Amino acid sequence: MSYKVIEENSISTVYLDGEIDMDVTDKAKEVIMPLLDAKKEVHINLKDVQYMDSSGISVLIESHQKAEELGTKVTLKEISKSVLKVIMMAKLEQVLNLD
Amino acid sequence: MNLEEEKDFKVESSSLKEIRSFAREVISKSTVLSACSDDLVLALAEAAQNIVKHAYNGQPTDDLLKVKISFKDNDLSMELFDKGKPVVPANIKPRNLEDIKAGGLGTFFIGQIMDEVVFKTTKVDWVNHLVLTKKF
Repeated sequence: MSYKVIEENSISTVYLDGEIDMDVTDKAKEVIMPLLDAKKEVHINLKDVQYMDSSGISVLIESHQKAEELGTKVTLKEISKSVLKVIMMAKLEQVLNLD
Repeated sequence: MNLEEEKDFKVESSSLKEIRSFAREVISKSTVLSACSDDLVLALAEAAQNIVKHAYNGQPTDDLLKVKISFKDNDLSMELFDKGKPVVPANIKPRNLEDIKAGGLGTFFIGQIMDEVVFKTTKVDWVNHLVLTKKF
């Protein structure tokens, strides 16, 4: 997994890339959580994520919950077809903010 | 088309990508299986992840885990063998859908994708022998 972060108009967009599994979830959290701790609104762009398993979904859930606790927001953007399928299998499409 | 292939992997999180690659390669040899390759790869990878995470608690080990994929007469069997902590099947619970949390999600995915998930106790060379099956 690789990533980049772009800050624009008080929104931090995290672009994730590649396959997100247990081996890389710590890295993903290390990128996303500090942005939320800083109470920034975060967009997670998933257009280049080809694979995500339950560990990756857990990062999305934890990010969403932490954002709610801190009074900010996480939105998932340009979700790839394969990731959307897993989100829907987990029945989280009504829980997470999808755009 | 019938096929049967197996491969050993190190028990560590970095093996998960190799396990997925192996599964994709085997599954691609059958047009029937290829149609749902992503789901099957996810189910197998979630089971392998559970071995790394729970049977070995994420601790380093020299043990290997074996993955065997068989497809015969439209019956798919994906088997995982390990020598980690013995699994107590009664303790394995999928996530309650009302709970918005990650725990048990992998087990839930496996159950959604596969027809049957069974821990067998007949292989004396291994501690755990998980068999995921699906009929096509």
